[in-house]
Amino acid sequence: MRSHFLHLLLYSTLVSAFFLLLSRRGSKERVRFGLILWSAMVFGALAVAFLMLPFPR
Amino acid sequence: MAKDDGPESAGGSRRPSSVARTAAVLIAAWLLPGLGHVLLGRVRRGVLFAVIVIGSFALGMAHDGRLALRDRQAFLTSLQVVANAGVGPADLAARIAVYGEAAYAVPEEGDAGGFEPRVVRIMRERSRSALSAYGTAYLWTAGLMNLLLLFDAWDIARGRRD
Repeated sequence: MRSHFLHLLLYSTLVSAFFLLLSRRGSKERVRFGLILWSAMVFGALAVAFLMLPFPR
Repeated sequence: MAKDDGPESAGGSRRPSSVARTAAVLIAAWLLPGLGHVLLGRVRRGVLFAVIVIGSFALGMAHDGRLALRDRQAFLTSLQVVANAGVGPADLAARIAVYGEAAYAVPEEGDAGGFEPRVVRIMRERSRSALSAYGTAYLWTAGLMNLLLLFDAWDIARGRRD
């Protein structure tokens, strides 16, 4: 798999699922926590990528 | 089917386990990700943890992740080795498969007769792969997740968590 974006999605999913399982909150709160974590990783990475757009290497 | 995640589940009461049992659980948890939770009665959670950690490790190996070698002149490489080794004996097996030996450190200068040591050359060749950075992230993540699982298993065994 060579797509950076797919790796971002896969990695975020793995890490979010791990911390979701590790969390001791109630079921609904757990899922909410996992979604927030996943969104933060994916959209955070996209935001940083967008900010880096003016600085190509 | 075993109950899971309840405070009264098999082996999972809130009473602290003995020191010997806690130690056995921690060793098992390091040997096989998720096994510590299974032994503490958290079967479903343990299996899911195993899938996540082993899956991450497999992805790392499939993407030519770097199996770090400790370099005396670079402290961070020691932390990288710890992150790799956290996943348990799978890391050792991977090192033997990749390097042909259980290499954890860069050989001392002079051991290679002035040439770049073989294990360093192999590591560099793997790092040249376009996917190696992803592979390395997956490998380190697998190891660090398993180390976190050890702490979680410790807390459960000592009755501090459900």
